[in-house]
Amino acid sequence: MWANVLVANVTKVLIEMRRYLLNTISLVVTFYVIFLMLVLGINVVGDPNAVDDNVRFLLVGNAVWFLLLTSVNSIGWEITTEALRGTLEQLYMAPLAARWILLARLVGNLAVNLVVVAGMLVLSMATVGVWLSFDVVTVLALLGPMLLGAVGLAFAVAGLAIVYKQIQAFLQVFQFVLLAMAFVPPSVAPWLVFAPLVKGIDMLRASLVDGVGLEAYAAADWASLLLNGAVYFGLGLLAYGAAERRATARGLLGRY
Amino acid sequence: MPPSASATPETALRVRGLRKAFPRRRQPPVQAVDGVSFVVERGQVVGLLGPNGAGKTTTIKMVCGLIRPDGGEVEVCGVDARRHPRQATRHLAAVLEGNRNLYWRLTARENLRYFMGNRGRSGRSVAAAADALLKRFDLWEKRDTQVADLSRGMQQKLAIAVAVLADTEVVLLDEPTLGLDVQTGDEVRRLVRELASEGRTVLLSSHDMDVVQDLCERVVIIAEGRLVADEWVATLMRLFASRAYDARLGAPLSARQSEALRRAFTLVEITDDARGVRVDLERSDDLYRLIDVLRAERTPIESLDRVIVRFEEVFRHLVRNGINGAGIVAPPATVAARGRQEDAGVG
Repeated sequence: MWANVLVANVTKVLIEMRRYLLNTISLVVTFYVIFLMLVLGINVVGDPNAVDDNVRFLLVGNAVWFLLLTSVNSIGWEITTEALRGTLEQLYMAPLAARWILLARLVGNLAVNLVVVAGMLVLSMATVGVWLSFDVVTVLALLGPMLLGAVGLAFAVAGLAIVYKQIQAFLQVFQFVLLAMAFVPPSVAPWLVFAPLVKGIDMLRASLVDGVGLEAYAAADWASLLLNGAVYFGLGLLAYGAAERRATARGLLGRY
Repeated sequence: MPPSASATPETALRVRGLRKAFPRRRQPPVQAVDGVSFVVERGQVVGLLGPNGAGKTTTIKMVCGLIRPDGGEVEVCGVDARRHPRQATRHLAAVLEGNRNLYWRLTARENLRYFMGNRGRSGRSVAAAADALLKRFDLWEKRDTQVADLSRGMQQKLAIAVAVLADTEVVLLDEPTLGLDVQTGDEVRRLVRELASEGRTVLLSSHDMDVVQDLCERVVIIAEGRLVADEWVATLMRLFASRAYDARLGAPLSARQSEALRRAFTLVEITDDARGVRVDLERSDDLYRLIDVLRAERTPIESLDRVIVRFEEVFRHLVRNGINGAGIVAPPATVAARGRQEDAGVG
């Protein structure tokens, strides 16, 4: 059953991306331009001996930020739109719990946006002539638990949206929180390893920038990554469940 | 027997003692629904009626599992909807608030397939049924048009098509004809009739009493969150229609005649020109008394017709008189008993 739900939601994401093609293109172009501006900045004011490393750092951060913005943050916008259009209530009348439909939607969003990010990354690398090290197995192994945490975070955002609806101001600010997650490494502040996604992004960066392979990471790193992903996924689901109970108790699902 | 007396194996929907209060900031909570109970048998088309803010939509949403009740029970096709909400929704589809149930950037066909996908059905398995429905609902020509570009009537029909394609025993329709032109409204009525003829159970909420009278065999009326009436439409119509008569007179009534009529009947309406009178004949010999008053001054009677009461008037009467300060004056059982007495020719 869930396979059909997943197919339906991935198809919907693809169709809507096609229908909002101009929006998608403009988002990619915006990120591309931001990236070029930052590269220009690095070239002008950065350490001339570390330009390539800094550009690689930027490439990863920019790509991760794009991915988080288009999947984690966008779920908040999507929920508010669905409440406004009345489709949110229809999702709640499906035989499968709405959170699993939402999960299918998130998986669809992540899958489609991963492809877009890959394209944007290749374009960015080709433009500046700096290439990242891609070990597909390592990247996928790191992305798994990292995205699990991202899904948890998305559930928390969705929960907020279900209860409060008008969270646009929060979402505007939250995109900068996501920016910080994507760019600030735990070396700056060690406690950041406990923050959602940061550990995973740091390991991903080490793999893409420095070519660190699967085997090079200590067991503690893997444990920390997996635990971080699982905990935030669980917390996100719990937060969403609590929001759902509050929304159904107060009749907020269809209200905007 | 009152329509909602008890649940049977044929019961599609059973609501018992449903209650819901919504909290308000620094104010006492609003009691939106207060102990509403009714039963809908399989294949019935039942109207859930009430004035604005009566608690209809809250009741429907509690049945759908969209609002958690404070108390009471909801059973859909024998499944306890509060304990097993997901199982209950397998038997239920709903169109809430008109055309606000569709994805506007998807086409008509894509919407049908997406919603069925969420019900766990593959695109291939529903393709033929979806196309057949689009033809049946006269939407075939618009199958590849985005919902945003469809007219309101088409959007409404598509929303109903989504509910029909779900192939559930119970279909809930909240204001299915709201904002539609006459022609599209008629089409929607036809579609609802078809649903009933397929043996589906329809619970319909509407402010359009013509639609209710046309489509529903039974009505459940709530006001201020409480049940006011639960009765067959035909019984209500008989109950209210049989007593009132309109007399058109060849000469105006004298002041003495008007006074005599007002003394003789509880409800009398006399037109401004005093050439028309409407009386509510409460007793079987009341018609003779009307004739006697008119004959006393040899007032010519041009016509004497039984008033054809519109369902809207019945509804208004029930809502107005069903509530009186502390509680319900005419509970459903009383209405039903009166209906049965009349059916049997009593009083």
